[in-house]
Amino acid sequence: MHSRRIALLGSAVLLALCACEWNLWGTVVRPTVEDRVRESLSGALPAPDSVAVNPDSFCFAVFGDPQIGHDFQTSLARFKEEAAERGMDFFCVLGDLTNDATPEECDSIKAQLDRVGIPYYATIGNHDLYQADGWERFKQDYGPSCYAVAVADRIKLVFLDTADGTIGLTQFDWFESELQDTLLTRIVLTHFPVFDGERPVMWRLASGAERVKVQSLLERYGAYAWCAGHIHGWRHMQVGSVNHFTCGSMAPGTLDYGNPGYLLFRFAHGSLSWQFVELD
Amino acid sequence: MESKLLASAQADVEPVSYLKLDAGLSFNLFQNNGLGAVALGVGAVAYDRIKLTLRLAVQHQQWTDWQAGENRVLATLEAGPVYGLDAGLGLVQRVPVFGDKYWSPLVWSGGAEEWNLLYRLRWKFIERENWWLRAGFSSYDRYTAHNPQQFPFEVDGAYRLKGNVELAARAGTAIVGLSGLLMSFHEVELNAGVGYAF
Repeated sequence: MHSRRIALLGSAVLLALCACEWNLWGTVVRPTVEDRVRESLSGALPAPDSVAVNPDSFCFAVFGDPQIGHDFQTSLARFKEEAAERGMDFFCVLGDLTNDATPEECDSIKAQLDRVGIPYYATIGNHDLYQADGWERFKQDYGPSCYAVAVADRIKLVFLDTADGTIGLTQFDWFESELQDTLLTRIVLTHFPVFDGERPVMWRLASGAERVKVQSLLERYGAYAWCAGHIHGWRHMQVGSVNHFTCGSMAPGTLDYGNPGYLLFRFAHGSLSWQFVELD
Repeated sequence: MESKLLASAQADVEPVSYLKLDAGLSFNLFQNNGLGAVALGVGAVAYDRIKLTLRLAVQHQQWTDWQAGENRVLATLEAGPVYGLDAGLGLVQRVPVFGDKYWSPLVWSGGAEEWNLLYRLRWKFIERENWWLRAGFSSYDRYTAHNPQQFPFEVDGAYRLKGNVELAARAGTAIVGLSGLLMSFHEVELNAGVGYAF
């Protein structure tokens, strides 16, 4: 009886693994964050261009996890209307562009993001690495996984690769050098949150030492915010002088908490403000 | 590669039957030099046959170069070793501390408090007169408590060189949960050292 139960459980697990579209072996042998960061910083993958905006007044949206699946459903058509109504200059997507990183999903999300009709920046998420060629596909479509962009000599967007739930030494060194640019308001955009409430959820940066080092650097250099996705919901925490945002999600289906939406930043009259916008 | 907690001094005493006290100091070299962690624990043995012990502990860990620290209070129920097995289950409240007061074990707020589960199951599968080997997983030890997204596992062992001098070594890593079934391995930790017991 006991062995039959184990066999049934084993069969169920095997069936579940067969049913998903992940390339499990591919996720084991894929490039590590260190590999991706070194390639991104080597100069072989040029960073995306800075967006031309009115330096005295501009706005942009940040959201995570469209996580397009086999039904190719997202909230991006609705977001396109929002972008037009609010006169957004550009937007940022914080990883997990796809659910399984299949070629069909990659093609579809790229087309849907392009269709919004304004410039955008992307970071890589863990779901974008669910196939052996996930990183190849990401860099072909969006470029490096870590890079920095200055907007109108007002703000600096620092995009980090946390798709493995870790930052790594090479990226930390580069990250610190980017934060030292204290003339601009610095916003970090990446997939994994550092802080997200008191509950023991698994979906934060994994290493305790990396988390305190991140916060220490953000404080030391006066960064404005750490913007993350991964958790499908919206949350704002103030830790010291730093804003920690879990930026809302465009993921289909039920979210971890809250409704689909995005974080809207607006620069005007020399200062930066933010608000969370829920999609209807 | 990071070096941490390179030297430590610890004490384990049993002032009266069924009461255990433990304390420790640990120091970093090469990186975040100086004091690395301080720990203090008290345990009450509830059932001696399996050494079932209710343990309360406080830990302060700090990283001087980053001006960051973390204060923790742990409550665990531990048992063993029995037939080489030891186990533990509990909770930790963790309070990261940044800036001027990072060194203080007395700061218990700051806006980034969290709590998470603790667990341990280890098996000393070989024990000879002068040496032993153990394998298992443990999300906490005297000086540290891992985050919930890490599932640490380790192999450790010791060889008695002479009298009270012991050569100890440990290799460990963690599986990091990303989401769904996707996981990756965390950095590998290798520890080796010599201990002297008074």
